[in-house]
Amino acid sequence: MTIYDIIFYLFAAITVLSAFLVVTAKNIVHSAFYLLFTFFGVAGLYVLLGADFIAIVQIMVYVGGILILLLFGVMLTNKITSVEIKSGTIHVLPAVIGLGLFAAFVLSTMMTTKWKSNPAELPFTTVYDLGYILINEYVLIFELLGILLLIALIGAASIARKDKE
Amino acid sequence: MNSIPIEYYLILSAFMFTVGVTGVLIRRNAIVIFMCVELMLNSANLTMVAFSSYLGQSAGQIFVFFVMTVAAAEAAVGLAIIIAIFRNKLTVNIDEINIFKW
Amino acid sequence: MDASLLTENLSYILPEIVISAALIIIVLFDLIFHNDKRIIPYLAVAGLAVAGFFIIDQFSFEGSAFATSSSANNFGMITVDNFGSFFKLFVVCVSILIVFFSFSSEEIQKTFDRLGEYYALIFGMILGMIILVSASDLILIYLALELLSLSSYVLAGFTKLRDRNSEASLKYLIFGGVSSGLMLFGISIIYGMTGTTNLYLINPLLQAPNLNLITVSFAMILIFTGIGYKISSAPFHFWTPDVYEGAPIVITAFLSVASKAAGFALLIRLIKTTFVTFTSPDGYWQLINAFDWQALLIIISIFTMTLGNFTALWQNNLKRMLAYSSIAHAGYLLLGLVVMSDQGLTAILIYFVFYALMNLGAFYIIMLIANKTGSEEIDDYTGLGSAAPFLGVSLAIFLVSLTGLPPTAGFIGKLYIFIALVDAKMIAVAIIALLNTVVSLYYYVRVLKHMYLQKSDSPKDAILPSTGQILFILILLVPTLLFGVYFTPIVTFAKNSISLLGF
Repeated sequence: MTIYDIIFYLFAAITVLSAFLVVTAKNIVHSAFYLLFTFFGVAGLYVLLGADFIAIVQIMVYVGGILILLLFGVMLTNKITSVEIKSGTIHVLPAVIGLGLFAAFVLSTMMTTKWKSNPAELPFTTVYDLGYILINEYVLIFELLGILLLIALIGAASIARKDKE
Repeated sequence: MNSIPIEYYLILSAFMFTVGVTGVLIRRNAIVIFMCVELMLNSANLTMVAFSSYLGQSAGQIFVFFVMTVAAAEAAVGLAIIIAIFRNKLTVNIDEINIFKW
Repeated sequence: MDASLLTENLSYILPEIVISAALIIIVLFDLIFHNDKRIIPYLAVAGLAVAGFFIIDQFSFEGSAFATSSSANNFGMITVDNFGSFFKLFVVCVSILIVFFSFSSEEIQKTFDRLGEYYALIFGMILGMIILVSASDLILIYLALELLSLSSYVLAGFTKLRDRNSEASLKYLIFGGVSSGLMLFGISIIYGMTGTTNLYLINPLLQAPNLNLITVSFAMILIFTGIGYKISSAPFHFWTPDVYEGAPIVITAFLSVASKAAGFALLIRLIKTTFVTFTSPDGYWQLINAFDWQALLIIISIFTMTLGNFTALWQNNLKRMLAYSSIAHAGYLLLGLVVMSDQGLTAILIYFVFYALMNLGAFYIIMLIANKTGSEEIDDYTGLGSAAPFLGVSLAIFLVSLTGLPPTAGFIGKLYIFIALVDAKMIAVAIIALLNTVVSLYYYVRVLKHMYLQKSDSPKDAILPSTGQILFILILLVPTLLFGVYFTPIVTFAKNSISLLGF
């Protein structure tokens, strides 16, 4: 049981527990903070898998961008004076049974498939390789992402602004 | 570092995916449903990074990079729409929003 | 990549470059001349015309561009072939019609100060669609789908005048987010099993001997969930009525025609390129033997048709009724896919051309009537036959064509689908489709009954369409009648357009 295994189990536990609590927390602000821990757990797992750049991007984009936006949304759309923000749950039992079967199916397929494994020596940093293929092989997708971000900007600003009366 | 078999990562991501799907089905608040969609996307990302690491390629990691960008754009648009609704109706419960009948 | 390879690759995506350039020009124009926005629609039409010219040019060659260096057979991310060019031309033509549609739309005119953003988002949708129909890499497919979806979420709630607009947008976004999440998980599993994301390279790798077929089937079902949501097939159709009712009529018409076409093109390309093992001599495909795909598709298409037709029976809002009717038409189109042959593909292409004409025409007339009377409920259509004679007759023709009665184009479209079904020996399915057509007759004719046979209590003002509007209706009406009798050019064009690269 090397130190890496212990770290893996730690981050896995953080991720799994936080994901479960996101869904079952009654208070929305609590859900948002459990989501924060999930993102951090996933970032830790990325580092264990050797994807250092992606781990940092995960923290910057997901925690620093998306989670802040979600917190904005939560704060702006709930009455700030009342601390207890209840949100309802419906049809819990049949959904849980159905999803339990789904989970069992998915887990069993994951476990019984023989996955290809070609473990190469992990490079010290992945930034060089990622940068290279981003500009050389996936350049079309890179440019398309720029257009997608422009469209998202225009769209979000157009929807959220107040109309000129 | 590769002493952990890939199945463990995949089981983890499968569990996260199922939790996300569960959340989408049983929660009512639009923002919480959106959080569960982010959980689903994160589980797919984790699957891809795991495969990319165990197959020795970087295509998976660059795909994750793109998916994160798309998720950020979608979050921005989603929150803008929620704010537009909230200005009119002051509620973000999916059931209360439902003025469309069957 | 070095310069010569880059220019060669860029020459394959000239239409996409033109659309992107037009998008940027529109945004810049909106910024610089923010007081005078009347010229923006003309810019849009010009951009689309240039792109259309390049697409017609693309019919003469086929090839593959933007290969990642790991693909040994030089199959890249973008494929240019007749099938893709057909759908690109289809999307561009429908978009030009939609720009003219937007001129008469009162809802869009009310948001005149945001017109630049409106056209930028429309171009975002167009760009997403034309990349989607020619993409052969899973990453590019996901990205183009998200570009199309993001623009549509915003456009569905663009006029924020009533509550239902923003709520339609939110419902669309949530459903879309969930299904794209499901699709992404499926893509990640396929990537894990094959180690590549290129559709052409996945095909031989999926036929490897000791591959776990249950996992492949699971991943395929997840991917089809994402695509099935886009083409609004059951059981992923729940967003369609609410979004179609809440969005502005222009956007509803655009979504129901162009977005559905792009989704179908993606579905056909995915099945044909990735999952087909070989084609038998008389044109029937053989899929990877995971489980019985054909049975699953048959069940889904019957379910879609029946649900769409039967639920449309008791709708009183015309937009919602047309939404359910477009779900039913997605079911008929899926029948063309079920036969898994080239003949079925030809039938789908023919049906799409005629469906575009009929559907756009019906929505346009409903919009003109709603502009004047402010209502889309069927009870407010009583006596409209005498108040608006030209509109009434045109709407009657479009609705008859949607049902599929001769001598309209809709009949020809359905005929080809039925011929493909009978040739594939699926007689029972053909009979079910025929019964569904009979059911659909009821709710289409109900509108005509209200318009012509019922006298209204209060006299209606006459609705006089302007010359431009009459011209637009005629552009859609004349082909609907003409193609009902003389349909050979469309059929020949479709037969030449079903070749995908490498098949």
